[in-house]
Amino acid sequence: MKGIAISYAVIAALIAAGPLVLGEGALRFSTECLLILAMAQMWNLLAGYAGLVSFGHQVFVGLGAYGLFLISDTFDLSPYWVLPVAPLAGAVVAAVIALPLFRLREAYFSIAMWVFSEIVAALVMKASWLGGTSGLPLKSSRLVDLDWFEPMLFWVSGVLALGTMGGLFLLMRSGFGLGLMSVRDNDLAAMSVGVDVRRNRFIVFVLSAAGCGLAGAVSFLGNLYVSPAAAFDVNWVVYMMFIVMIGGIGTLEGPIIGTAIFFGLRELITDQLGISAGWYLVALGTVGVVVMLWSPRGIWPPLRDRFGLKLLSVGRTAPATAELAPVSGKAGQLG
Amino acid sequence: MAWLETLVNGAFLGGLYGLLGIGLALVFGVMRLVNIAHGEFMVLAAYLAVILVSLFPQVHPLFVLIPVVLAAFAVGYLYQAVIMNRVARAPDPLAPLLLTFGVSIVLRNLMVEVFGADVRSLQLGELSRASLNLFGLSIGVMPLLTLVAAVLLFLLLQWALKRTQFGRIVRATADRRDIVRLFGVKPDRVYNYVMGLSLALGAIGGVLLAVRSSFTPFSGVERLLIAFEVVVLGGIGSFWGALLGGIVLGMAQLAGLKWDANAGLLYAHLLFFVMLLIRPAGLVASKA
Repeated sequence: MKGIAISYAVIAALIAAGPLVLGEGALRFSTECLLILAMAQMWNLLAGYAGLVSFGHQVFVGLGAYGLFLISDTFDLSPYWVLPVAPLAGAVVAAVIALPLFRLREAYFSIAMWVFSEIVAALVMKASWLGGTSGLPLKSSRLVDLDWFEPMLFWVSGVLALGTMGGLFLLMRSGFGLGLMSVRDNDLAAMSVGVDVRRNRFIVFVLSAAGCGLAGAVSFLGNLYVSPAAAFDVNWVVYMMFIVMIGGIGTLEGPIIGTAIFFGLRELITDQLGISAGWYLVALGTVGVVVMLWSPRGIWPPLRDRFGLKLLSVGRTAPATAELAPVSGKAGQLG
Repeated sequence: MAWLETLVNGAFLGGLYGLLGIGLALVFGVMRLVNIAHGEFMVLAAYLAVILVSLFPQVHPLFVLIPVVLAAFAVGYLYQAVIMNRVARAPDPLAPLLLTFGVSIVLRNLMVEVFGADVRSLQLGELSRASLNLFGLSIGVMPLLTLVAAVLLFLLLQWALKRTQFGRIVRATADRRDIVRLFGVKPDRVYNYVMGLSLALGAIGGVLLAVRSSFTPFSGVERLLIAFEVVVLGGIGSFWGALLGGIVLGMAQLAGLKWDANAGLLYAHLLFFVMLLIRPAGLVASKA
């Protein structure tokens, strides 16, 4: 616990110092990594801990971005001050659609989310007050000091990524998190001891929508431009999903590994080898499929069990009486 | 009268949509698996048809359906045998779902790289343009044939599942995969055949849809969403419900397009969402 707090503080200090050390290109790249990590963690929270696989999370990315652009332009406010609108937009929409969507289970929920995202994207493309298919520029960008724009975005992304990681860590150590993990491991047993699965799912769904809304808003703020094709692009959820799937679903460490592989592979293929983005997605998908066939829960769980690693372990020490019973490594560790 | 024509054409298109849905429903019914890559396999079948037509211009385009359907069956068999059966037994429903999604991404982007992102379509020459005049309505011959083919395939599939030895084995495996082993049935092999059958049905739908409207490597997403909506609208597990669901969706789409020319699938999606709110069990409540 102490080690985690210290490394957390060190990473926070590194992020604070980042813009002083990194060049412009590296800074932008790091911003993207941090944002994608935050989104992947949000998707992981929903899929890995609440068992809800969403193929429509791009809708929250787009809603956050449009929310920011619209409010910032309408009221002529600095986009930094309007940022809280983005997670709010995601959360409100998620809370409204949760009721009908939760009637559907498993794959049906997944695809219904996708259909919902397609509907919102089509409606935005038709709305002339949102710029239609060509999208919106950020007019209030003149309120932003452009010298500090990239560092600010980096810091916001850093706070978001660190906040997500820290928040999830604390959440998983709380009673609520224990409830979530018990549902993840055995929903029937969890319900029998009084875990309210429906309520948990609702809270997690809203939280994950809010996080993706904020990450999406920051991402498009960096472009100073938002278009429906980019904002509601299904590739957002493809990235989130592959990162979580390759790294380790239902673990906090997995998405970090997944993000490293995701960007490592991208730089290798599109930058070093100069091959098109399409082939990159083919390679990413193949890696994902191979990992799933080899270890359905991703790379991290087998590594952790094999080498006894404890990085962000949220496991608790079992009460003393538990020592009497032979507890296998897996049962003793809830994380 | 123009509206009536739109609805009739919508019903014809809907027959085709029913065909898209039935392959997805078959796999879900037997293996409890939603094959996210179903749409991509349909588009792949359409590309194969386009290639075969350009290779053998003297053969009538509809005859390419035979090799395409056979190839789709083989691909489905291998897909299930090599990839999907490895995770079919996983206790966690997440793994197969994510796996099929991964396969769909690989297929989609492979098609973009190999065939390019250009818009393609399958030309049937005169048959595409031929039309009949029935009760004052102008009706395309090809859409009518498509609906007839869809209904025939539905009847054939229902007969095969109800009356043949193969159908009984499939239904038994769907109910109790552990018990059928006692009777010498290998569930994995049944799954291979079912996936082959599902992709063969998908290939028919994919090729016929390619005759009706153009496609790109990205069309798989649209095809999957339609197939899925058909299954949910019809009532999960209901056979004729899928055909009815397809017809309702086809009508909604064409009526929407008539009212608003660049709406695409928006009204079909909206109808699906509204139906989800008011009738979550589907049009035909499932007894199975």
